[in-house]
Amino acid sequence: MSDFVTYASLVEGDEFLSPPVRFEVNQHVVDRYINATNDTTVELQKVDAQGDSIAPPMLAAVYVIDALRTRVGPPGGIHAKQRFKLHRPAKIGETLYTSATVLKLYERKGRIYVEMTTETKNQTGELITSGLITRIWGKE
Amino acid sequence: MSSTNELQHFNGFSVGDDLPELIEAVDQNMIDAYADASGDVNPLHIDPEFAKTTIFGGTIAHGLLTLAFVSRVLSAWNWQGWAYGGELDIVFLGPVRPGDTVRVCAKIDAIEQREDGVYARCSLACYCGEKAVVKGTVISKI
Repeated sequence: MSDFVTYASLVEGDEFLSPPVRFEVNQHVVDRYINATNDTTVELQKVDAQGDSIAPPMLAAVYVIDALRTRVGPPGGIHAKQRFKLHRPAKIGETLYTSATVLKLYERKGRIYVEMTTETKNQTGELITSGLITRIWGKE
Repeated sequence: MSSTNELQHFNGFSVGDDLPELIEAVDQNMIDAYADASGDVNPLHIDPEFAKTTIFGGTIAHGLLTLAFVSRVLSAWNWQGWAYGGELDIVFLGPVRPGDTVRVCAKIDAIEQREDGVYARCSLACYCGEKAVVKGTVISKI
């Protein structure tokens, strides 16, 4: 049995992450991201209208990919395209749950493509981010 | 053909406006820091010896590090519209390598009146030198 997800095991419409993958948004995670990306956005140094500290919007790339990494494809895959809709920034102290669904499987010019939709909600079910990721599948 | 819900100007924004440009130098330390922050420790990004054996011939930055630069531009330009409802749709065209300098450019292509407000549609591109490494569009409320 391979230790990666095989293309043959994927079916359009299937849940790819079941149950959704949990991610804790804490100060350490946010600080590391801000430092790594040199993000000096002033709004990140304030609290929002509810008095909460917010995370950079593109932390989405971290919690979504973190979730997808729990079920990896074969080595050599390439992240080809990405869509995100940012419903609102995550807040420090929230717990996020990311789900993913296989949307489309196809071959083009000898390459295999896998498209998945993703949805990230917080602990109360509020939608934080939705997305569509297109990966060129690695050779098995 | 122009639609009746397309505007040329709104709220200080105009079609053709350039967004503030961002220029960021990428080195292996930054890539390592992003790997640490994101948990994506794929050796293609952080192990020069391994990366030499791949088609890239050396380490490359995470594509999503480049999107972090895009997000910095959009946050500085229109925080509310980007962070609360912004939409990004991009394609990765090529690698960013240690030593590259990434330039993020974006421009308002259209301003659209919708039922729930007015939105700017922007084209964006990230370049290393003359080579585009990311291209796409962004939509945000203005």
